[in-house]
Amino acid sequence: MNGAEQILDAFHRYHIDTVFGYPGGCIMPLYDALIDDVSVEHVLCRHEQGCALAADGYARASGRLGVCIATSGPGATNLITGVANAHRDSIPMLVITGQVPAGLIGTDAFQETDVLGMTLGIVKHSYLVTSASEISGVMDEAIRLAVSGRPGPVWIDIPKDVLLQKTPARSAAESSPESSTPEDLGEAVAMLQAARRPLLYSGGGISLAHCEASFRRFAEASALPAVVTLKGIGNAGKHNPNNLGMLGMHGSRAANRAVEECDLLVVIGARLDDRATGRLESFAPNARVIHIDADTAEINKLRQAELSLRGELGRILDGLSAALSARPLMIDEWRHQCRQWHTTGGFSAADNDEPLSSITGPAFVRQLSRITSDDTVIACDVGQHQMWVAQHYEFDHPRHHLTSGGLGAMGFGLPAAIGAQFADRRSTVINVTGDGSLMMNAQELATIRRYRLPVKIIVMDNQCLGMVRQQQELFYNNRESQINLDDNPDFVAMARAFDIPGLHIERTDQIRRGIETILAFDGPMLLHVAISREENVWPIVKPGASNLEMIDESQTISRTTKEQTA
Amino acid sequence: MNSQSPCPSISYNLNCRMVYESAALERLCQVVRIRGFRVARMAVESAGDQLDIQLTLEGTRPIAMLKAQLEKLHTVAEVTLSREPAGFSERATLASG
Repeated sequence: MNGAEQILDAFHRYHIDTVFGYPGGCIMPLYDALIDDVSVEHVLCRHEQGCALAADGYARASGRLGVCIATSGPGATNLITGVANAHRDSIPMLVITGQVPAGLIGTDAFQETDVLGMTLGIVKHSYLVTSASEISGVMDEAIRLAVSGRPGPVWIDIPKDVLLQKTPARSAAESSPESSTPEDLGEAVAMLQAARRPLLYSGGGISLAHCEASFRRFAEASALPAVVTLKGIGNAGKHNPNNLGMLGMHGSRAANRAVEECDLLVVIGARLDDRATGRLESFAPNARVIHIDADTAEINKLRQAELSLRGELGRILDGLSAALSARPLMIDEWRHQCRQWHTTGGFSAADNDEPLSSITGPAFVRQLSRITSDDTVIACDVGQHQMWVAQHYEFDHPRHHLTSGGLGAMGFGLPAAIGAQFADRRSTVINVTGDGSLMMNAQELATIRRYRLPVKIIVMDNQCLGMVRQQQELFYNNRESQINLDDNPDFVAMARAFDIPGLHIERTDQIRRGIETILAFDGPMLLHVAISREENVWPIVKPGASNLEMIDESQTISRTTKEQTA
Repeated sequence: MNSQSPCPSISYNLNCRMVYESAALERLCQVVRIRGFRVARMAVESAGDQLDIQLTLEGTRPIAMLKAQLEKLHTVAEVTLSREPAGFSERATLASG
């Protein structure tokens, strides 16, 4: 067995049956071995960034390990954005790259880059394998690391000659589950019982820990008013009456108000990211904090916790649920108050009943949410459309909302949708994208065509980089700089070039028919939605400001009117 | 919690034991840098497949945060903070900005 065959052997042992990759010189031995392997489906994307992001989408949608493969030099450098994306959002990923032969490392050989050196900051761990005898053990360890504790990408760089080296096969090492530290559930329950205004704050760690059911039980047993981060959307389910939705920069007034007023914040699987907290000094100013996380390093990183529980989230949540079921929290007044805030300060976007009016982002997303089924997977890109989806689409499960949270990588959506479709070929997968984002990885339309994936693509086209334009308008005296995209291609014609039919809509009365048409079509289809260039995402907190300083449309209008009057 | 913080820079002595692997020291130094600390002195000694590293670090952020981040590294076996300055005299010493 040579080094390449040992990699495939590890794929078999860990039931890895789908990988995303792009061949090239130094990874050729692995591609040669793949020819004879019928148990691993290799998905050829059209750019290595597409491979990494597709592997990411596959992992997010399935809860399994995502695997991507590339060659040395440009193959490896092209992976970097996708791997950084997985790192920032703690997505389990295995990255395998070919490297120039060991003897040529450090000689500036053709397609040589110092992959190990340049990826240190975006991986959970990485290896440069120097002998084929190491490969089996490294694969075992890398896979275990990628999926255990706080998941993340692990990168294995293997010189071409090592891939070709013969070595005896080696059996798999048994991996033991990561041990968790003891937690003081009793103290947490006591703090919850003592609090008058406790609030639940959850993030992407819930689905990463595969503890969605335990979280739902806890949310039900505690009946705590709940806010979520961008990555936590769907945690509480769409029917939870205590769910106040997303907090933070583009969160609802109700969610941010509840954080301001709460006296106990129960943070679960979240890292208190600056987009969620705004200026830290004024975040949850009256609250004590219980922080529950799989990653010890997140505890007290940005906000001191009065109590931290570190370990297996599902077990901790089950313990808390049992205690609270026996002795429910007496916080009816606080719950009522939060629901009232949600009614008056939740995300509201009146449906436009004027059939000939132009389409607004929120109105479109609300219709999309109503028409699609609860198990639809939405793979967003990055920008205004991403926030409209986060605000107005009602998700029932966190794995149905794929979004680039930490890195905010435009171009994520289309390859992520491809990955999600490979995770479940029968599911409905929709890429909601913008005209800027789609062009970042438009080459992956060819991947959709090649595999005849029934991915639906919705392009919300405002002919500009809308989120940048919005911030230039609001925070840079309306001085627009390099945001104009009014020379976009004809997206319907572009899709057609990839044998993907398309449809254009621009009026409110066309929304329903447009969405129903692409959903009913047996195969991939693109819906081009023309929206206003001037539309903004509301509310918004200025970057670096406190969440209490939210700006909404009416304030902007009143400010503009005052300026005009003056 | 950013590097613009007006808090005065504090000096810390930190000892780290980690597995000798490709890019071990780069991995360590990368975390130290990105988490907001400056290496004032560094001494490294290899013992079998282990590296013993003594660092004098300067920074304005809580050292516990850096310690927790270093402990997350897969190849780091132990991180300890020492109150007294570490003895560098008989060890190879690197100065770093």
